[in-house]
Amino acid sequence: MRAALPVTAAAILVMGMPVNAHRLDEYLQATTISLEKDRVKGQIRLTPGVAVLPGILVGMDENVDSVFSAAEQRAYAEKVLGDLALAIDGNPLRPRLVSVKFPRIEDMREGLGEIQIEIQAEVPRNGTHRRLTFENHHQSQIAAYLVNCLVPSDPDLRIVSQYRNYPQSFYQVDYEQTGVGSGSPLVTGAGASALLAAATLLLLARFAFSARQRAAT
Amino acid sequence: MNDSLKSVQRSVGAIVLTCLACSLASAETSTPQIVKSANAFLSTLDQKQRSSVMFAFDDEAQRARWSNLPTTIVKRAGLSMGELNDTQRAAAMSLVSALLSHRGFEKVQQIMDGDQMLKTNEKNSRMFGKDLFYVSILGTPSEKDPWMIQFGGHHLALNITVAGERGILTPSLTGAQPALYTMNGKTIRPLGEENDKAFALLNALDENQRKQAILNYRVADLVLGPGQDGKTIQPEGLKASAMNPRQRDMLLDLISEWSGIVHESAASARMAEIKAGIDDTWFAWSGSTTVTPGRNGTAYYRIQGPKLVIEYAPQPLGGDPSMHIHTIYRDPTNDYGRKVAAK
Repeated sequence: MRAALPVTAAAILVMGMPVNAHRLDEYLQATTISLEKDRVKGQIRLTPGVAVLPGILVGMDENVDSVFSAAEQRAYAEKVLGDLALAIDGNPLRPRLVSVKFPRIEDMREGLGEIQIEIQAEVPRNGTHRRLTFENHHQSQIAAYLVNCLVPSDPDLRIVSQYRNYPQSFYQVDYEQTGVGSGSPLVTGAGASALLAAATLLLLARFAFSARQRAAT
Repeated sequence: MNDSLKSVQRSVGAIVLTCLACSLASAETSTPQIVKSANAFLSTLDQKQRSSVMFAFDDEAQRARWSNLPTTIVKRAGLSMGELNDTQRAAAMSLVSALLSHRGFEKVQQIMDGDQMLKTNEKNSRMFGKDLFYVSILGTPSEKDPWMIQFGGHHLALNITVAGERGILTPSLTGAQPALYTMNGKTIRPLGEENDKAFALLNALDENQRKQAILNYRVADLVLGPGQDGKTIQPEGLKASAMNPRQRDMLLDLISEWSGIVHESAASARMAEIKAGIDDTWFAWSGSTTVTPGRNGTAYYRIQGPKLVIEYAPQPLGGDPSMHIHTIYRDPTNDYGRKVAAK
């Protein structure tokens, strides 16, 4: 066995020593995004620092009983949701709340206690080259934002590039997807209508031809 | 020489290194010594202590019971050093020593000494100190079947799976607060090399490489810290395939500050695995690119490869972030030794 280093408390001199073991004056908000072909999921972990907690608690524990009721938890999560913006290819998405989990208020007062919120939005499958944007403006004066995208588990999805602004309140990810409609004019939008019209015309022509043949016999 | 030929040569080189490392690992295996140390430690315990320290190998709750935070805030299970008598404590530290390299064990001791200083300087605070480091054993110590040892407390979480000759150190967390102190007249920086080697690598990059490596946004904390098991984020920064051989060697040397914590034969096998994926390994940096010599900096960095995630995150918790560091070390394909344990 290697000998332990000798420790002599009297000889110990510490050069500058912050002792906070927990978050203090920031509100950490870490978002993880998962991409799927027809939906996007987000997990948001919120950890208020002890120095900023009193101001945040006002919006959480509305009846000031030091307990987060299910209604208070949901109401706060909806507030967070209202401060987010999610869009695909420039079109706004409407994320819905999937779950919310609060820690004990005692833990939050220790600078711990992570609020966990899960959201989800349906995404139309159109297109092979896609751009998802995510914005978080919740408590922006005190926020420390993190946002990351998981490597897609679906091999048909491939992330091409990412962009964030300095505070990470804005995030953009460009990705490619295969195995869905190509987004060509034949299958989407006006192209789909044209295809339908052409098929109808062909059908009518066939009826007319059959009717003429029947009349001739 | 064209790129594909170089690529083939690198792949062959990686395979040769892997085989060489595996044969070295089997020649220098530490597993019998580790098992002996584990059984020696267990033999010092009474029945109640043994039941406190032992867990099932597949106990998922215990596997995930680790944190950067003090044990008074995030409770650990097992036996704390403070609950052990001198003989038991020496046996526990002997077991930890058998699992680690010389430098790995020294690093662990320096992290623990730093926490003892927090206790001393915080009027004997009950939140800190060497008595609050816990040991636990998941499974039964064996030279063949997989089992696991956890050792940690504030700013330390070692999760080491022993599977035959393999020793898997992921996921593990190291931290330092204070990141610089003097003890017995000697200046100690528990995570000094992690800082200095990273700055050396950054400074070895040319302007174009730095543009790719340095992210244009702030990273306030670890992304894949405690509680974030099983996640793989999209990598960013500068790919090692765009580095020259000297820069790649510097990157591997930096990685060795984590991969080399575990004992030498396990570290060799792990480094061969990391080398095999080095071309697909990324280096990303966020924050200040300058540092005062002899001190840690305030920048965040991440190293991410096919079987590797390392993050280094100074903590802006109301004090000087350069004095309070958190790091995480993961293998997204084999955390808790799941891959080898499944075989």
